[in-house]
Amino acid sequence: MNGYERLLATIRGQAADRTPVAPQLFGHAAHLCNVSLRDYEQSGALMADCQLRMQAHYRSDAVFAFMDFCVESEALGSRVRFYDTQYPEIVDYVLPAQADAGALRLPDPMADGRLPEMLRGIAALRAGLGDRVLLTGCLLGPMTLAAQLYGIENALFLAADMPERYETALDFATACAIRYGQAQLAAGAHLVTVFDPAASPAVVPPAFFRQLLLPRLQRLLAALRRAGALATWLNIAGPTAPILASYPAAGADIATFDYEVSVAEACRLLPDSCLVGNLKALDFLDAHPERITLAARQLVDACRERGRFILSSGCEIPPESAPANIAALLAACDAGG
Amino acid sequence: MAGTSAVPDALRALIDALLDGDHAAALAETRRLRQAGLPAETIVTAGLETAMSRLDDKCTVESFNLLEIMLVGRAVSAVVRELYPEGLPRDDRRGTLVVATLEGDVHDLGKNIVKMVLIGKGYRVVDLGRDCPIDTLVAATAREGARGVLISGLISTIVPQVRRVRTALRAHGLDAVWVVAGGAALKQFAAAELDVDYVAENAFDGARYIERRLEGEVP
Repeated sequence: MNGYERLLATIRGQAADRTPVAPQLFGHAAHLCNVSLRDYEQSGALMADCQLRMQAHYRSDAVFAFMDFCVESEALGSRVRFYDTQYPEIVDYVLPAQADAGALRLPDPMADGRLPEMLRGIAALRAGLGDRVLLTGCLLGPMTLAAQLYGIENALFLAADMPERYETALDFATACAIRYGQAQLAAGAHLVTVFDPAASPAVVPPAFFRQLLLPRLQRLLAALRRAGALATWLNIAGPTAPILASYPAAGADIATFDYEVSVAEACRLLPDSCLVGNLKALDFLDAHPERITLAARQLVDACRERGRFILSSGCEIPPESAPANIAALLAACDAGG
Repeated sequence: MAGTSAVPDALRALIDALLDGDHAAALAETRRLRQAGLPAETIVTAGLETAMSRLDDKCTVESFNLLEIMLVGRAVSAVVRELYPEGLPRDDRRGTLVVATLEGDVHDLGKNIVKMVLIGKGYRVVDLGRDCPIDTLVAATAREGARGVLISGLISTIVPQVRRVRTALRAHGLDAVWVVAGGAALKQFAAAELDVDYVAENAFDGARYIERRLEGEVP
């Protein structure tokens, strides 16, 4: 089996030759190739080249087409500052506090900001990976994009002070995500992972997920499926135990869970979903590779009988992580899973 | 912990408004209390600190979200600004604390949450902002006579900087200053790995550690 076949079989609950590994490696590709994050984030061709070289090095089963969390907001008019060794920040949000997101125009993925660069990068990645390795596009979920339009503090105050206007922002963010996700699939992504860290119970009460996000995720994930996504993938970091059981109702086939949720609890809450997790991302910085191997094998063993498990970290592996630790993660499945 | 029975009836409406995160109602109630002659210090100790204590009890490691803390924090900040437009006076009983996000990390939400919690608990807090060089942190700690520094870190690249803080403080004779780390990235480490006194799970956990140090429960 190649990585694509291995992942597809696992997602569908079919037998695979071993547990697939899909480490969340984004900016680490730039680090590995001695490219600054500033350059990596502004060229789809360079992003794709670094990701392809990294995949050839580690031989992971999936590749994430991801630049940074500012891409969508910048395309809508936010001003972004770039750095060489850390991800960019938004220095001027497109929406002032309490402004109406309904006044914004939906972005054109072929023309606005760095969206076209991302699409060029996805096309280059698919050309390089074919159907040997699974290629996933990446989107901000509605709550995180809303936070990136106002700044998270203003977005959260808006949710409390003017809930109807906040819902307008969530609807606009959902429409943006659908359009951009469709474009990523058309450019060659096999599926699209929806990242919504602002929906974590560490940020908002679980009721927010159920009442405000769930109906919008249903629209988003259904639209991605209609646009040809092989499966739907929801990725929310942090202590997500109070919301995991709602993921199937959102339409998510694949669920990432972080180190703050035990594998036993994730299996209990999502008995029929494909799980992805949940190594502690910061361990990849300077823990000993043996620690990574041990933790990875424990996870693989814990999920061996249930199947439908993809080995990964619970959130992004830091760009400056030690390559030996990432190699240990991949080797854990080669040897034991 | 401040118990319900110890709260003067006059302050109940203020405490309810604070815990509801209703900053407008909290501000109106504070003005009413001041006009009725209640001292500012009483409003802080019996009102704000009681509200923060109840929020602390509610916000366990399993149940803690930024939105709720931010709403209470906004209300607390509004009341403190109303009572002390020039900033909270120095409290020799509790001392001063320094909060910062270190150079290389431009995220300051976590640091702002810690600051709000500490102010709500009656501490004088010196906020050094984000992207703060270690030299600035050390100089401010010495200048303010701070008893502790609290560092928030969202991203992994900040870890080497955090590991330098203790050494930098010691080099300036500030060996006794407590160093507390927290935030999404830093809380994934043990205290020894960061060379700090304590790694806080969240803002309240960090504040509780400071309280234990002040009360001598932690040597």
